Formats: sequence, structure tokens, C-alpha cells
Amino acid sequence: MANKSDDILEEYSSKEYEYGFVTNIEMEIAPKGLSEETIHYISAKKQEPQWLLDWRLKGYHSFLKAEDPHWQNFDLPKVDFQGISYYAAPKSSAKFKSIDEVDPELIATFEKLGIPLSEQKILAGVAVDAVFDSVSVATTFKATLKEHGIIFSSISEAVKEHPELVQKYLGSVVPHSDNIYASLNSAVFSDGSFVYIPKGVRCPMELSTYFRINTENTGQFERTLIIADEGSYVSYLEGCTAPKRDENQLHAAVVELIAMENAEIKYSTVQNWYPGDKEGNGGIYNFVTKRGVCRGANAKISWTQVETGSAITWKYPSVILQGDNSSGEFYSVAVTKGKQIADTGTKMHHIGKNTKSRIISKGISAGEGQNSYRGLVQVGTRADNARNFTQCDSLLIGDRCGAHTFPYIESKNSTATIEHEATTSKIGEDQIFYLNQRGIDTEKAVALIVNGYAKEVLNQLPMEFAVEAQKLLSISLEGSVG
Amino acid sequence: MITTTSLYDQLISFYNNNSAGDEQPWLKDLRARAFDAFSTQGFPTTKNEDWRFTNISAYLKENYSLLPGSVSLQNVKSANAIPSFDGYEIVLKNGMLNEDVNIEGVKVTPFRTALQDDHLKLYLSKFIPLQKNPFAALNTALFQNGIVIEAEKNAIVDKPIHLIHVYNAEDPVFIHPRLLVIANRNSKLQVVESVFVTGESPLFLNNVTECYIAENAQVDKYYLQAFSPNIRLVNFTQCVQSSNSLYNNYTYTIPGANLVRNNLHLDLNGTNTESHLYGLYLTGSNQLVDNHTSVHHLFPNCMSNELYKGVLMDSSRAVFNGKIFVHQDAQKTNAFQQNNNMLLSNKAVIDSKPQLEIFADDVKCSHGSTVGSFNNEALFYLKSRGIGEKAARNLLVNAFAFDVTNKIQIPAVRKYIEKLITQKMSEAYD
Repeated sequence: MANKSDDILEEYSSKEYEYGFVTNIEMEIAPKGLSEETIHYISAKKQEPQWLLDWRLKGYHSFLKAEDPHWQNFDLPKVDFQGISYYAAPKSSAKFKSIDEVDPELIATFEKLGIPLSEQKILAGVAVDAVFDSVSVATTFKATLKEHGIIFSSISEAVKEHPELVQKYLGSVVPHSDNIYASLNSAVFSDGSFVYIPKGVRCPMELSTYFRINTENTGQFERTLIIADEGSYVSYLEGCTAPKRDENQLHAAVVELIAMENAEIKYSTVQNWYPGDKEGNGGIYNFVTKRGVCRGANAKISWTQVETGSAITWKYPSVILQGDNSSGEFYSVAVTKGKQIADTGTKMHHIGKNTKSRIISKGISAGEGQNSYRGLVQVGTRADNARNFTQCDSLLIGDRCGAHTFPYIESKNSTATIEHEATTSKIGEDQIFYLNQRGIDTEKAVALIVNGYAKEVLNQLPMEFAVEAQKLLSISLEGSVG
Repeated sequence: MITTTSLYDQLISFYNNNSAGDEQPWLKDLRARAFDAFSTQGFPTTKNEDWRFTNISAYLKENYSLLPGSVSLQNVKSANAIPSFDGYEIVLKNGMLNEDVNIEGVKVTPFRTALQDDHLKLYLSKFIPLQKNPFAALNTALFQNGIVIEAEKNAIVDKPIHLIHVYNAEDPVFIHPRLLVIANRNSKLQVVESVFVTGESPLFLNNVTECYIAENAQVDKYYLQAFSPNIRLVNFTQCVQSSNSLYNNYTYTIPGANLVRNNLHLDLNGTNTESHLYGLYLTGSNQLVDNHTSVHHLFPNCMSNELYKGVLMDSSRAVFNGKIFVHQDAQKTNAFQQNNNMLLSNKAVIDSKPQLEIFADDVKCSHGSTVGSFNNEALFYLKSRGIGEKAARNLLVNAFAFDVTNKIQIPAVRKYIEKLITQKMSEAYD
């Protein structure tokens, strides 16, 4: 039994990354290196206004001053910031009026990734703003969204068309000096998504963006800004796959969410980037700053993430609960296998009265994977009747993996109620036996148990994503019988 | 970078002037290593993750003397008595034995005598990570007094040993008490520690206790921290357990001392061990009480259980950090940890950080942490049955603390602690 599971484990861990392929499209690439000139170059390429250039430069100066953090639960690989090219755009970077104009090879790439960037998508009700490397190449469903007054575009487009909104909110949640990677992003962000939902509008469809890193040695610095005005609702999906690379690729994105009074934002992520090979070479460094703020009363922000890829995943989607009665949620499934590392969790800052937060984190470690949950629940003196519930569970598969929890709980208010609980265990032999007995083989049994274990989180995902996530999860755990 | 304070410089020159004594070479070597560890680290600042919520800089600013004043024994016994407590009493004046002790099966030796040969070479600071604990390193470098309690093989000590530490704080003093407990094979030992201080000047106690528990031995250790406000305590307890041993640690902190920092480190250095860590902290005025514990599961089939409860009043601040490490070989580990807090004032602050680091798969580990206040329904229930506000609150706090107090195995100590809780709670609501 032990031998057999070792074999399967071996077979699985030697399995090549399914989405590893390179698309050959002519690229326009900036010279490697980072300096003020690079920023001027990017800004000029994108024909940006002066205020944005100034803001980028501020970010660059904070980046120069910032130091690498040292508190994380893994050895931070030295990133050669001068060895990265900070701008890459497909040569045919003109705007496309219809899908027919898009480079067919690009379309083929998306097809391989299973992104149906076609009319059929209307039926599925998904508007896709596909980001291929840095420049947004195709945007669909604009008309429907326009009817409702919703702005869903690439951020560079938004800078041109709605500069007042971008200028007002950009950097208001994650300032340019927040941390070294956020500063870097502020200085060199290439593109990303911009969403604005006007007052009282319920966004009729799930908004989604597929990210994909392509050109070798090009770090992606996405910037996402979502604003839900009073009484509005939006659900946003982000999903990723990346082609196979030998060199590490840095991904330092920033996501900012702003929910006004009575507004609700639901942000879901499925991340399956290249995790590196068996020895842990290559793979994506996913260092992302994600933060949302509930500005007004009764606002709600919910983060859901399924993290199965990347060599290192390092992010803490957080919520600042500023408005009274506002609430924040965080649901996460993180799977690490091979030599993958995940140091992820959330921060909930309770500032307003009667604020609520809920954290459900499920970590799964297999092979030599290291999985850390790091979280902060902070209750300020004004946050009367604040309520938090945190549950973080870890599942261990194999005797060389690790699971770690670092929850920080800080309360300054006597009316606050905070609960935290965490468990760590392996899949019970009795559970497997029970399923075996009923004719379900061990492999399927493990998948079943793991899916059940992660169900609470997967249930939070929108339909289309839930299916994808479930598939990902069972692929991820193929053969990892404990 | 080290932040130097006048105390830091004072300690450096004190060590340099006093290290030339005629001590055993191994001890000299250990002290030099320890002092090096301290001087390179300096006093911890809030930039150090383990001291992030505990800023001690204000407590180091006094003009401390490094040599304690002489102590008289008047009133010690009556003031420190635990009613109807039947135990072997050992009084330590500035860490020195007051009189010879005669307990069957137990050897009590002052360090001054015990360090004459190399019997203690096997024990002293053997397991303490000096490079990470500047205070323990400082103690190792400078301690002079204190005692060694060694239970002989197969000795079942019939009564608890009650250690009463007596200090003089007429002038500000910074001292390094030290205790070493060795429980040899199949022995059983209970140690209760309490502190008595005369004078009201600041007294900084940089305490280190080491506890070695051999196969099949059992040690229960109690530290009753009912101090006066001028006390600042940094307490480091290192316990090393061999196979089939049992260790129970009880730490009870009652309002008083400015600063209490308890570091409790357990190394489960054998299979089939069992450990229970119980803590209660009741904090008032502007106290800062910090409990840091870490349990290292190094071998298979060990069980550890930790329960710390806190009640915070006034503008006090409490910190809890519990770490459980399950190393790769420690399969079949059961490790549990729980921290519950009641915040009774809006000026009080609690920072709780339970932490699990697990590298083995066949384990059952869990931790939980809660922060809350009085349950209004429970209060209402009691009041509706004619119990006054004050009494009702008292009852609820006692009930909350019950999970920890009922673990005390010495009835007299338990009664004593419960009485202190009731008394402090009543004072708080007057």
C-alpha cells in the first residue's frame, strides 16, 4: 500500500504541467532593467497623462527606499529587478472592433486554455476582458454593460476615458508606498482591469478576466481597480494559467476594491500558474497585494480564492471594515505539492461599529509542499460589537510536507467577539476504508474527501468557476494517497 | 543593529569586570558564549517578532543596581503563607539558601556549591536557544545564586516543595535568579514557587528555570505570580522531557506587577510523553502580561495540551503566543492548544497569536482562540434570580477561570488562587 501510493505520488509529481506551451506572436518588448527612464518609456508608450507619470515615479521612489520583508515563512528568492523587462505588448496592438480581427494564433491560445472568447459566451453570461501579457486585446459584452452604465475596461483605457475616476481611486486602498511589490507595481504597472458600477446597479453578469503570462522574462504587473458605488453589486472573477518556463517569473499585481454604502463586491480567483518542475526550478512567484475597503455603512466585500499553482504564492487579500455594519469575508483553498510554497491568509480590520468578518481557510499540503496561513483580525476601539469567526484547517498528505498557521488576533474593544479555531490532520484511514468498502477506489475516495473538505469554500464560487476549481483540485491531488 | 541603553553598557562592563573569577573551564566557556549571544542581540525591541507587542524599553530605563541589597526575613512567612498548605518550605534570600534543607529523596544544593564540579555541565543551558533569547543568555552569563533541586532515582516526594523567593527592593535592582530542577528516573516531584519583596523600588527579575525530566518521571511546577506593582519579571522556563515522562506547568498571574513576561519552552525529547500547560492571567491597572509558549514535538507518540485563559481589566494589556512545532519524525502526535480571553474594559488590549507549525502528517493538532466579554444573557439570567450585578460578574469570571483553576492538584494552592481571583474581581468593581 505504501509502495503503491509512493508510485502514484511519483507518477503524479513527475507529471508535466498541462498548460505549458508558448504562443509565437511578435512582441514589442522594452529593454530589460528598471530606472526612471523605463517608467517614462512605459508612460509614453501608453500615452498617459502627467499625473499618472508623477504617481508612477512616486511609486518608483518608494520602491527604491523599501526593503525586502523578512517575516515570511519561506526563504525569499532574490529577485533581479534589473533582469526583468517591464513592458511587453503584442505588435498588433491596435484596438479590435470584432473578434475576427484578433490574431488567430492568439485566439487559438485562448481556446487551448478553454476560454471561449466567442459569441457563445453571451449565453454563458460572462464578459471577458482578456489580458494577454500586458495589453488588453479584446473586450466583449461592452454593449450590455454600457446599458447599465457599468464601466468595464482595461485600466489604460479607463485612464483615457474616465481619468477623474481613476485619479480619485487609484492608490486609495493600496498606497504606492504600501510594500516593496506594491511600490514596484505602482511604478511599472502595465495594464489591468477597471470596473465601475454606478449607484444602485446590480451587475447583470459575472465579470471575468483571464490573465496569462507569456513572454519570457516579462514580469506581469497587473493593476485592478473595482469601485462599487452606493447600493450596487458586482461579482468579479479572475483566473490564471501560465506557460511553462525555466526561469522564474515574478508576478506582482495589485488589486483594489472599494465598496460604498450598501454596495457589495465579490471577488473570486482561481490561480493555476506554472509551479516549477520536480526540483522546484522555474515556476511563478505570485506576490500580490489585494485589499478592499468597505467605505460606507452596510457594505460587503467577499474574497474567494482557489490557489493551486505558482512556485510561491504570497498574498493576503484583506478588508478594511470602515463603514458601520459592513462585513468582510475570506474563503480560501490553497493546495501545495512538489516544492510549492503558499504563505497566504487575510487581514480584517474592524473599524466601524457592528462590523462582521468571516474567514474560512483550507490548506492542503502534499509532497514537499509548505502551506502557511497567516491572518490578522484587528478590532479597534470604536468597533463596538465587532464579530469575527475564523476557521483554518490544514490537511496533510505525505510525511514531508508542512502546514503552518500564524493567526494574529488583536482586540481593543470589550464588546467585540472573536473566535478562531484551527485543526491539522490527515485523511482518516477509517474514512478511506468506508469509501473503499462501498466500491470507491482509494484515489477517488481521496478526491471525494478533499472536495468535501474544501466544499465550504468552493460553494462560494460562481457556477462556472466552481466546476473548474473542482476539476483543478482533483487533478492536483491525483495519486496523493496519504 | 543593537539599541544600546545605559543598562546594556552597565551589564557589559559588569560582565567584563566579574568574569575573571576562578570557575570551572566549561562554565567559563558557557558564560562567554552566553554573554556573546546577549551582547550581539542586545535587549529585544518590538522589531523582534517575539517581542512585537511587548515593549520593554520603559522598564529598562531605571537606574538599576546589579547587586541586590541584603534581605531580612521579618513577616515573610505570614505575608506569603498559603493557608493550610502542607509542603517543604525553602526560603531563598536573593536566591541564596537560608537554611539547610532536609527532604527525603531530594538533594537541594546552592549553585555556588553545585558548580564546583562538572555534574551540571550536562544540564546548564543545554537546550536553551541562547542566540534567540537575549534575556536567558544574559542570565546564563551573569547568574550567581539560585539552587539545584534534584530528585533521586525512584524517589516519590510525599509533599510539594514550596520555594519562597525573598528580595529587597529598597533601591532599584536588576537580578538574575536561577533554578534547576532534575527529576531522575521514576521520580515524582511537585514544586511551587512564590515571590516576596520588601521595598517599593523597581525590581527587575530576569529569571531562568530549567527542568529535566528523565524516563518515567513526573514533575508538577507552579508559579504563583501575585506581585506588587514595582516588579518586572521576565521568566524563562525550559523543560526537557524524556520518554514516558509527565510534566504539568501552572502559571497564575494576578494583578500587580508592571510587566510579566513568561517564556515557556518544552522539548519533548523522547516518545510517549505527556505535557499539560495551564495558565491564567488576570490583569489590571496598566499591567502588561505576556505569555509565550512553545512546544517542540521531536519524537512520535507524544501528547501536549495547553490551556491559557485571560481576564483583562482597566488599561491592561495581555499578549498570548503559543507555538506548537511538530517535527518530521513526530508521527502520531496529539497537540492541542487553547486561549480564551475576556476583555472587561475598553481600554484593555489583547493580542493573541496561537501558532502551529507541522511537518509530520499523522497528527492531530488543533488550536483555538477567542476574545469576548460577559455574556449578557448569562448576566441577565443570574440577575433575574436575585443575584446582584457584582456577585454575578464575580461568579462568571470564576466560572470562566474554573477550567484552569480546577486543574491545580494541590487543594490549598487552588483555594488560595480562587480566593485571590474573587478578591481582585471585587476590588475591580468597587
